[in-house]
Amino acid sequence: MVPILTINDVKLSIDGKPILKGVNLIVNEGEIHAILGPNGAGKSTLAALLMGINDLKSPDEGELIFRDKLLNGLSIYERAKLGLTLAWQEPARFEGITVEEYLRLSGRNNPDLNVEECLTLVGLDCSYLFRFVDDTLSGGERKRVELASILAMRPKLAILDEPDSGIDFASMEDIANMIRTMRDRGTTVLMITHREEIAEIADRATLMCDGQVVQTGNPKEVGEKFKNSCVRCEVRNPELVGGE
Amino acid sequence: MAVRNPLDLIAERFVQIGLPEELFKKNKFNLLVDRNRVVVRYPAPGVRSEVVETPTGVKTKVYVEPGTKLEEPVTLCFGAAEATEVQTTEGEIVVGEGADVKFRVYGAMAEGIKLKHKNKLKVRVERNARFEFLDLHYNGEETFVELETETEAYVGENAYFRSLFKQTKGRAGKVRIVLKAEVGRKGVAVFETKMIGKKDDEIYVEDVIHLNGEEARGISKSRIIAVDKTKATFVGETYGNAPKCRGHIDCSEVIRGKEVTVKAVPVVVVNDETAKVTHEAAIGSIDKKQLETLMARGLTEDEAVDVIVQGMLR
Ligand SMILES: Nc1ncnc2c1ncn2[C@@H]1O[C@H](COP(=O)(O)OP(=O)(O)OP(=O)(O)O)[C@@H](O)[C@H]1O
Ligand SMILES: [Mg+2]
Repeated sequence: MVPILTINDVKLSIDGKPILKGVNLIVNEGEIHAILGPNGAGKSTLAALLMGINDLKSPDEGELIFRDKLLNGLSIYERAKLGLTLAWQEPARFEGITVEEYLRLSGRNNPDLNVEECLTLVGLDCSYLFRFVDDTLSGGERKRVELASILAMRPKLAILDEPDSGIDFASMEDIANMIRTMRDRGTTVLMITHREEIAEIADRATLMCDGQVVQTGNPKEVGEKFKNSCVRCEVRNPELVGGE
Repeated sequence: MAVRNPLDLIAERFVQIGLPEELFKKNKFNLLVDRNRVVVRYPAPGVRSEVVETPTGVKTKVYVEPGTKLEEPVTLCFGAAEATEVQTTEGEIVVGEGADVKFRVYGAMAEGIKLKHKNKLKVRVERNARFEFLDLHYNGEETFVELETETEAYVGENAYFRSLFKQTKGRAGKVRIVLKAEVGRKGVAVFETKMIGKKDDEIYVEDVIHLNGEEARGISKSRIIAVDKTKATFVGETYGNAPKCRGHIDCSEVIRGKEVTVKAVPVVVVNDETAKVTHEAAIGSIDKKQLETLMARGLTEDEAVDVIVQGMLR
């Protein structure tokens, strides 16, 4: 197994508050890797740091390595050129840009780009090509377009921050299939999720809690651990572990 | 030496600054004015017009006969293919009852010229008529235009009037745009302004909408991108003077650079308790999340800015 992403003892504080407290994680090329963890565990912060967004270009300590390249300090554009991308938990809305234009921009370096197919794979029909990526799309539609744009781009590594949030329960299977397709087409997937049925399609999973990795391994085991024995999580977020 | 058709030269100069070539190739113009010369005139069905050349420009009167419905827009161009000091245009447009027409007006100021352009327009949209006035401006990057334009519109009962001022290509220059409308019962007025200012451009936009008839509606929407040392001001005033009228002012100015000065002044006045006028104004730099999203898909920062700005100006 070849690591595509190595996170080495990464620490980060924001406004003096430690958010990531020594994160260690390896993502292997070709896998779907799920990150689980309660609200506030630091999952989105880790994703932001990997992509270099929100002015988070380097951790305070530690290294982010993508295929032998140190990501620390690189711009978003440089990271994207290396083959890394991110789908936001809450994607941006654009005025005056159609879904088709957004997909074509995303996929401009993909010689096999097929925008219709990207939409079909996320459960949207071709009439959406002419819609604007603005606030006329529903929350779930916008999330689907975001995933379609990742399919269009076909990166080497895609970080998906809660690809399932805002998607109706009945469509979970579609989203799961879409993520598998992404992987089968050569994109390694690192996805943050709260849903078991999505985590289950992963090859491996990691549990994060309070800015640290608690466990990495088989998704079922990690899921069980998250549900049953992550005491700190239980305290911080009872509803996630079946409380209330 | 063969004598060159003056239209060929105009076409060359205007296409150079971005006017679609097919306008000339397919003879799309119903009226084309270069400085104070009428170069093309071609009638549109149901549209009567009078055009008079003046020492500095032209005066036009247009009457759209009642019930006229046109699929194709009436296409006009007021421009300057060569340098001239001043250009003044004055117009009157009456859109007859129940007509439904669109005017596409190209303002074209050739590369490198300096010019003062003054424009005054009176529009009357009669009962049940629909009129769209799309004012598309093309300047060269080295062109400098001092533009003063004033439109006064009367929108009749159940009529619809949309005016779009869009600076499509090149430098804005020093621009003062004033749009005024009086809207009758169930009438609708939509004012849209889309501009980008660069270097030391100065942009002033003033939209004034009086909703005088019951259930009249007004929308005043502006998108101004200010780069370098641009000074930009938007003043939007909407008066809700009649029962159940509705108005909205939506203004968004994007600043890019430390030396820009931008101002947005929304004024809403309501004189009837069942009227409602709202406004939203936003001034700020380019949305960071939009920028970062496009960069995460492999666009450079400049490319991403361009995509976002073009989207806003669309
Ligand atoms: N810019 C910031 N300023 C202050 N605190 C921040 C900032 N960004 C994140 N945090 C804090 O860092 C912690 C981790 O946030 P993060 O968004 O990474 O959590 P998460 O694991 O993605 O949670 P969720 O499941 O709710 O999406 C939270 O306590 C949050 O309040
Ligand atoms: Mg999060």
